[in-house]
Amino acid sequence: MNSDKHGLKKLLFRHETLLLLVLVGEWLFFYFRGTTTNFSGVTVGFGTAGAQIDILRHSCEIGLLALVMTPVILTGGIDLSVGSLMGLSAVVFGKLWRDAGVPIPAAITATLALGALAGGLNATLITALRLPPLIVTLGTFSLFRGLAEALTRGADTFTGFPASFQAIGQNNWFGLPAQLLVFVLVAAAIWLLVHRTTLGRSFRAIGYASEGARYAGLPVGRRLATVYILAGLGASLAGLIFTARLNQAGANTGTGYELFAITAVVLGGTSIFGGSGSVHGTLLGWAAVAVLSDSLPYVDWPREVGGMLTGLLLIVALSAGVLPKFLSAWRARRHSSRSVNPQPTPSP
Amino acid sequence: MSRYFREISVAAALALVLVGLALFARAFYQPQPLLTLVTSQVAPTLVIACGMTLVIICRQIDISVGSSFAICGVCGALLLKQGFPIGLALPASVLLGAAFGALNGALVAGLGLPSIVVTLATMVTWREALRWLRQGVYVNIGTENQWFGLSQRAGQWTIIIVAVGLMIGLAVVMKHLAAGRFVYAVGTDAEAARLAGIRPRLVTFLCFVLIGALTGLAAMMSAVQSPQVDPTAGVGLELRTIAAVVVGGVSISGGRGNLWGVLAGLLLLSSINPALTYLGVSAFWEKAIQGTIILLAVVADGLRSRKRAN
Amino acid sequence: MSTPPLLELRALAKSFGGARALRGVDFDLREGEVHALLGENGAGKSTLIKIVTGAHQPDRGTIKVAGQIVAGLSPATARQLGIACIYQQPALFPDLTVAENIALRLEPAAALRRVDWSARRERVRGLLDRIGAVISPEAEVRTLSMPEQQLVEIACALGAGARIVIMDEPTASLTQKEQHLLFAVVRELRKSGVGVIYISHRLEEIFALADRVTVLRDGESVGTNEVSELNEAALIRMMVGRELTQIYPPSESAPGNVVLALRNVGCRTSGVQGVTFDVRAGEIFGLAGLVGAGRTELARILFGITPADTGEITLNGERVVLHSPQDAIARGIAYVPEDRRRHGVVLDLPIAHNMTMAIHPGFFPATWLRLSAERGLALDFIRDLAIKCSGPEAPGGSLSGGNQQKVSLARWLATKPKLLILDEPTQGVDVGAKGEIHKIIRRLAKEGLAVLLISSDLPEALGMSDRIGVMRGSTIAAILPGGSDAHTVMAAALGSEKGAAA
Repeated sequence: MNSDKHGLKKLLFRHETLLLLVLVGEWLFFYFRGTTTNFSGVTVGFGTAGAQIDILRHSCEIGLLALVMTPVILTGGIDLSVGSLMGLSAVVFGKLWRDAGVPIPAAITATLALGALAGGLNATLITALRLPPLIVTLGTFSLFRGLAEALTRGADTFTGFPASFQAIGQNNWFGLPAQLLVFVLVAAAIWLLVHRTTLGRSFRAIGYASEGARYAGLPVGRRLATVYILAGLGASLAGLIFTARLNQAGANTGTGYELFAITAVVLGGTSIFGGSGSVHGTLLGWAAVAVLSDSLPYVDWPREVGGMLTGLLLIVALSAGVLPKFLSAWRARRHSSRSVNPQPTPSP
Repeated sequence: MSRYFREISVAAALALVLVGLALFARAFYQPQPLLTLVTSQVAPTLVIACGMTLVIICRQIDISVGSSFAICGVCGALLLKQGFPIGLALPASVLLGAAFGALNGALVAGLGLPSIVVTLATMVTWREALRWLRQGVYVNIGTENQWFGLSQRAGQWTIIIVAVGLMIGLAVVMKHLAAGRFVYAVGTDAEAARLAGIRPRLVTFLCFVLIGALTGLAAMMSAVQSPQVDPTAGVGLELRTIAAVVVGGVSISGGRGNLWGVLAGLLLLSSINPALTYLGVSAFWEKAIQGTIILLAVVADGLRSRKRAN
Repeated sequence: MSTPPLLELRALAKSFGGARALRGVDFDLREGEVHALLGENGAGKSTLIKIVTGAHQPDRGTIKVAGQIVAGLSPATARQLGIACIYQQPALFPDLTVAENIALRLEPAAALRRVDWSARRERVRGLLDRIGAVISPEAEVRTLSMPEQQLVEIACALGAGARIVIMDEPTASLTQKEQHLLFAVVRELRKSGVGVIYISHRLEEIFALADRVTVLRDGESVGTNEVSELNEAALIRMMVGRELTQIYPPSESAPGNVVLALRNVGCRTSGVQGVTFDVRAGEIFGLAGLVGAGRTELARILFGITPADTGEITLNGERVVLHSPQDAIARGIAYVPEDRRRHGVVLDLPIAHNMTMAIHPGFFPATWLRLSAERGLALDFIRDLAIKCSGPEAPGGSLSGGNQQKVSLARWLATKPKLLILDEPTQGVDVGAKGEIHKIIRRLAKEGLAVLLISSDLPEALGMSDRIGVMRGSTIAAILPGGSDAHTVMAAALGSEKGAAA
């Protein structure tokens, strides 16, 4: 809150700058540890273009969730149900196509509509009844996953989708994974929404103080509804891309993805209490999470370590966010307890 | 009467389900399967739900219990396998759980981080760490350690008596010791509690330590029920527990609820699955019904507090 | 003086940042007396109370309790010394029962103590009986009315063996009958040797109840007198006897058409009732009154935050219904709120963003941000209002209080309002910026804006307003012409019959 926040020091210690350094460090580590040359002199492992493209391909779904989670967290809310909604979307899509014989384009549309509807359910409970987003989305987290399990009776999976649909998840366009194009489009749209429209402004104002936003005449309820519906749409899209990539839709699609998404957003510098943050920060946070969780096989570490490190990274990022404030409060308290004069001046 | 309206309505719903089962699915009441159901499903969850009740009354939440449950169970089982007596493995598991709880508590109460995100992070960290280290291998504790080395019947009754005794003991503490009132006070209004001479951060921290320790205990109560300890036990446990607590009338915004309601809520939720089976509905609906019940409970609380505000 | 006074304060001083809240206050409280504490808003009463209850530490001065000097008073030691405070809004735990609340207050120290509920119930019942309250110890506090909750607080204080009881405007929300019950309780306390510090704005209560009265003004005690030696006029004189230290810009505008007309406006949830007055174009209509008189509540009605449910509001001759801030903004009403940090300026956002926040739909068609236009608008306001900042991109939090207030003002001027409601526009603002804000308000009035100025700073309300409405008890008590003297306004705000007649 003071002027030294501006200037060079600010640029150097900006969250994004630090995060970029972490990301580069991660990348270099995997590059040097995970790239080797085989007998025929061909480079294999992390350093190859193929590996990089693979990592991008694998992490698009988490990236999508992180993108739509950013506005939610900006408003001071949270959506735990996105991973489950991915699963429900995948299952509904598979069921529509295989069991109901709905053509792919119509099935995609219906699935996205379902995502918006599910987001709308969250939004209604949160805005109309003023319930805490945390517990509402914890409930829908269970509900959506449960519906997916019920629809598949726990075991049924859908596969054998037409090649044209699988192309979204498996083909390359212009040398890049097809879903990356979708991701870039969504990223651009969300960036514009958050940074270039009045909606993005309202999200921050609501996250900073929702009562204050109401005093400024902002339609708080409608804005909140927007972010949760958007989150639902994003989760459905991620579910579809996941299905196309693996040519398989099961009830467990996207289990635990909400954590990766929240980690990417918080790592990207968005305050978990709302009010401040950026989409480009989220993108950097996503890259850091993606490299960490998808590159471990290249250095012969099991995939679980990725999940573990992501959890640790989230704790560290959260603590780092509040530590300066905590330390200064602690110092102030120590200072004040020392400076209080225990000997009062004697009364005349 | 109106004060316990919520608890009474849950108990009534439970009675309705039990009567329904008695009428349409007499098989539910066979003693041995029922005993096994209560021992394996209800008792360990009840122990954790006791801790969760305190944490939620304190206006926090802990979703890492499933993961620490699995770790505590595996670590206790490994000690048993090494030939250590249960008298050592059990306290070790409780201590380990308490340590996990203390870490959550330190981050939440000490640094002021939101408990949902902190425990989400620790949940995944511990779960993945366990998967990495154990690769899903079961731990064989042998039949000699099963049921704490007692007969099955005695072991089952021990578990039930310990769980219920713990719950009643804690209910008495919450009602009759000043410490119990502190938890309510902190959950209602931390600032007012501070002015009344209570230390809200300490209370919050201790609630997390308690739920951790109880999770460790529950893990061992569950581990000794079979000769093979499952390292993936505890997946979804946090939701079952939170659902029981919320359905039992504990307000998610803190300060309200009691353990008797939680007991009724847990029994209600636990009877859904057998009820579904006996009534010929697929058991795969369980999670969806659980989610719906959580939402209904929250909505009911929301409507009630809105009506009160007007 | 055989026994020392229960409480003795000598040369107590306290500053917050640069503002000096107390500058050497002397005060004493004897056994078995009711000592009233009187003063305008901001005279230092609440700071004094907070020091006595241990919530704040004084910068200088001594506190003696029963003749013993007490250093480093904390809330816990204050309680141990038998000091209890009954606030206007009782600080009870709504989800716990009466008995539990009292138990929690009485022995909070020992966590592992068994709470013996039957003994506790008896004791609580005894305490409640002692003050003549008919409340069940089993009732949840949430279900009690406000006065009942106050009685519970008093029972708490008695149970803790309090010797010094502070009552901060205890009758503010009580009915006549409840007041009499409370008075009986206070007299009972006095008889049992308890010292009561009684804070109230209602003069008749002070004359009915108090033995002595101390008047605070600008953080200093003006004097302590036996109540029997004083009359209302003398008391009011002690409260307002302040020189006008500031020159206010003169009124230059001639009032035009009626912009806002209120007829019998009320709102059940906020308690405001029967408000009738007009504000004309080019006129500054001041709203004076004591804290809690209902001024901010009235502003919130006019801005659609708590919509009116009785009476009618007419804007430029057209009857309007205001359901939400959006409605109000669309009809040309702007409200610069009192709580700048919570409602006024988003401190994390650049000031340019703050300035356009209320004009999103109009200024940014199709929600698309026009950043250069926004920058231009911000630069215009920075120049017009002389906002000191590093530029339109500076976050609101980097500005001083006065400049933040100007940003808040700019946000509302950007809506091009017909009626501007200013709620304590110069609170927490340094003297220089205060003068600038006054000039801006005058200029706006001259340009034909109708201004509703809520101010607790009596000289400001007097110096700036063309007419003054005085609020008391959630309604308009008097409408006075500009240039009225402070004595008359204060008399109306306090509800003194003599003053109101004048």
